[in-house]
Amino acid sequence: MTVVGRAWNRLSLPGKLFFTLAPLLLVTTIAVIAILVIFGQLIVDFLAANLPIVRFVVAVTAVLLMSVPTAFLIIYMEMKVIALMNLRLGPDRVGPYGSLLSVVHGLKVLMKEDFTPTGVDSIVFTLAPVVVYLASVMSLLVIPFAPGLFGQDLNVGLLYFFAVGGLSVVGLLMAGWSSFNKYSLLGGLRSAAQIISYEIPLTLSVVGVLILAGTMSLNQIVLDQRGSFLDWFAFKQPLGLLIFFIAATAEANRTPFDLTEADSEIVAGFATEYSGMRFGFFFFAEYVNVFIMSALIVSLFFGGWTAPFDWPWPVHIELNPGGLGIGLLILLAVAPVVGTLVLAAPFWVARSSMPAWQALIIGFVLLNLLIGLGLFALAFLGWEWVVGLFWFLGKTYGFVFTFVWMRGTLPRVRIDQLMGFAWKWLLPASLLNLFVTAGAVVVLGR
Amino acid sequence: MDRALRRRLEARFGDVLSGPVRQRHDETEIRIGPADLTVVMRALHDEPDLRFRFLADLAGVDSGSAMQVVYHLWSETTPDWLRVIADNLPRDDARIPSVTFLWKGAEWMEREAYDMFGITFEGNRDLRRIYMPPDYTSFPLRKDFFLADDAARSPGAGVRHMERTHSPRNATPAAVVRQAKGA
Amino acid sequence: MATSAPISRRRASADDPRVILEEQVGVFEPVPPFPPRTEREAEFYTLGDGEMFLNMGPQHPSTHGVLRVVVKINGEVVTDLDPVLGYLHRGVEKLCENSDYHQAICYLDPLEYVSALFCEWPAVMAFEKLMDVTVPRRAEYIRVLSGELLRIASHALFMGWMALDLGGLTPILWSFIERDEIVEMLGALTGARMLFNYYRIGGVNGDLNHEFMSRLGDWMTRATEQHDANVGLLNENEIFVRRMRDLGRVDRETALRMCMTGPNLRATGVPFDVRRSHPYSVYPELDFDIPTRDEGDCLARYLLRLDEVKQSLRIIDQCLNQMPDGPVMAKLPRLLRPRPGRAYAAVESPRGQYANYAISDGTDQPFRLRIHDPSFIHLQSVGLLMPGHLIADTMAVMASLDPIMGGVDK
Repeated sequence: MTVVGRAWNRLSLPGKLFFTLAPLLLVTTIAVIAILVIFGQLIVDFLAANLPIVRFVVAVTAVLLMSVPTAFLIIYMEMKVIALMNLRLGPDRVGPYGSLLSVVHGLKVLMKEDFTPTGVDSIVFTLAPVVVYLASVMSLLVIPFAPGLFGQDLNVGLLYFFAVGGLSVVGLLMAGWSSFNKYSLLGGLRSAAQIISYEIPLTLSVVGVLILAGTMSLNQIVLDQRGSFLDWFAFKQPLGLLIFFIAATAEANRTPFDLTEADSEIVAGFATEYSGMRFGFFFFAEYVNVFIMSALIVSLFFGGWTAPFDWPWPVHIELNPGGLGIGLLILLAVAPVVGTLVLAAPFWVARSSMPAWQALIIGFVLLNLLIGLGLFALAFLGWEWVVGLFWFLGKTYGFVFTFVWMRGTLPRVRIDQLMGFAWKWLLPASLLNLFVTAGAVVVLGR
Repeated sequence: MDRALRRRLEARFGDVLSGPVRQRHDETEIRIGPADLTVVMRALHDEPDLRFRFLADLAGVDSGSAMQVVYHLWSETTPDWLRVIADNLPRDDARIPSVTFLWKGAEWMEREAYDMFGITFEGNRDLRRIYMPPDYTSFPLRKDFFLADDAARSPGAGVRHMERTHSPRNATPAAVVRQAKGA
Repeated sequence: MATSAPISRRRASADDPRVILEEQVGVFEPVPPFPPRTEREAEFYTLGDGEMFLNMGPQHPSTHGVLRVVVKINGEVVTDLDPVLGYLHRGVEKLCENSDYHQAICYLDPLEYVSALFCEWPAVMAFEKLMDVTVPRRAEYIRVLSGELLRIASHALFMGWMALDLGGLTPILWSFIERDEIVEMLGALTGARMLFNYYRIGGVNGDLNHEFMSRLGDWMTRATEQHDANVGLLNENEIFVRRMRDLGRVDRETALRMCMTGPNLRATGVPFDVRRSHPYSVYPELDFDIPTRDEGDCLARYLLRLDEVKQSLRIIDQCLNQMPDGPVMAKLPRLLRPRPGRAYAAVESPRGQYANYAISDGTDQPFRLRIHDPSFIHLQSVGLLMPGHLIADTMAVMASLDPIMGGVDK
């Protein structure tokens, strides 16, 4: 046994971790600095020359990364909101008000045993969740989150969206067919029929908007609705909005159209034989779909990232903290202390039983909240994309809340009622909407 | 205690009754043999002054010496329950006509009587076991039913080695079969 | 779809490695027995063109307990249905034959565990008939009071469960608020929340106490609005009504032929209620109506049970006002030996006519205790009502007939 070996055995676990990672980190840092120093200019030139590709890669990465926290947030929201509608508490323990429960669910799903049942078609079985997830996430590419904040401004953005969204049918059918299970087969067939039936009213109801905006690029459609909230297409295309909302609920497999996962009839539908991360893919895909449908409703009909009204007076912020000189340092040293004391004082004075340290903690937390709010307000007033993002997310999550609300309230429709509704009511209605819009445009001019 | 009902029953069925019409509290009871069941039931169901159109219960009974099938009927003509006991079915091969031609809902009740007692209801389209597994080999509610024996012969037997070592040979002798006097 | 040839694998049993078990893995087809044992089996297990079996097995989120339903479907349309029972069979009748008259009452509670008092009541009545015991009037009133409370609780459970089977997540939690309050009340009265073991031969096991009366009074002030709120949740929901209307329609003749009782029968228009047709206990002195509806579909059954809750509230009111004083238990010898005889007693449970037929042979153990359970009878009708509807309706129809598997399987 060597000296190193004996010393290694005597280390505790954190020690072992440290002595493994620290040298690795050191080497990596040195290597990166060396590369940057030697090849830095070359790299920068390369990136500058291929800026669109770089932008695209960064955008796609960001979109993929952001889909998971979005799904987490929507899952938590669903659990909490439905629980409150059911007059119970919902997630309560893991984190403040149970907000970290989604993270725990994600970890749990990763840790489950990943098996393939006997008799399944393994390639198709493994690829199905991937197809479904990608079909959802790829649609995030064209959605404009804020002015200048979108993945790619395709000029056939809406067409791309519907084309890619239709891929989820393939994934669901793959899942249903390859699981060696009649329940899955039924679930897969039901969902394929449902999604295909509702795609037609979905796309037709949007054509009215296309006629009015004159372009398929989602960014342009949002820009067309700039101004006040009366410019939003919701007021010019109310029937289109209604049809789109209903069809989007069916496309996202949400209640009242969630018979693909009707767990009182066919256990879990197409996902019966899936467990672990494979099921996690389906799960996340569904919630990302909810987000996407809400985002689309907002972009097409409710003005996307535009504010309902323009800021009434011009704001001119010119901050020059450097002008304070040494006063800046003094301010940074004194302000937190003074702020904490000032905010803690009312609590300590009003409640005689509160010990001083508790009041100080409350004061500190409130100070942080105030500073955060102040920074946000500055960003809001200073940068356009913050404003846009704020409005976009606010409206989108309003619609996500509506989807969750419907889940907590409504029972399920039956497959034949669902199909009948799509073909006998929504399709003629969307055609009617299309004709009326086209006629109005021709008669009245733009 | 509806005396009028007793008189009507004695008048109508006097020749097929195998015992007196007994009445106690709010129940009237008649006993017949299995061969007369169809005629009696149809008469009770169809005749306008009897109109026993509601079958409340169909039960099998093992009275130690013979099998019985007990029917409880209700009619709007009388405040009493009518109990029809089809008595003296032989224990080895109990056969009785089925009443599913009158009440389809008796099908499962007869299945249960078959499953628990081994009484065969002729005319029941679906006489198979209802509670026990389909290849079970005995009838649990009979008075001569012993569990250890039959579990060893059941399809679930033999999986645990205890069921092979503690087999019927080693079991204690059977208990006395209960008889009910006048049941 | 892959072949239906069973894929089996052999492995050694965990208990005894010398025993080799052959397990079937993969799809479990409800294999048709050959030769078919009965006509009906032959008819059911022959597949027509384009039909397949779907086995909604004993483990299923929505069958009301452990029930296996083999459904023959053609696409989504159900052409035939065969329930397979026995997964919860506990041999209660045999157990009762080998126990005392008092001990038998404990075995009867878990039969229809949702409304356990209605399982004890006819047994106790039958034993009292055998022994010619008169129950004190106060005990009778307490029996009626607790029974009607439990009827409301059971119908609340039904309402929630029906909505859950159709996909609505909220009504079950709201209805469980009602049920929880009632069950807590009965817990204060009897000592247990679900399997009460409260009725005794000759009376009940303990008088009304202060906690019960205060909870009851508290609840009665809110009961009507709570019930109306629960009813209003789904009554006018278009999706709910559309799914339940014209589903599983039963007409009067079919219902009588299938020996249906209770709300299922009254929903077809037949005003048969054991409390009025064959009165027992103190029901002749109480004033209540028998709601009936004519359509006989799932919606009618659902609405009818909600109407019955209002009548139960009336009865509870009258019980509280007319409660007489006196003992709650008749004087009986400790060792009960009735003379040989037979007795039949029936009550109106929330599911239908629940009856007991007791035979005594002079000893201290009942010779035979036959339990007649309404859920058992109603489950037969599912096979009659389903053909022509879709799979999704199987659950709705079964839920509307309100079976409880504990009672079905005994």
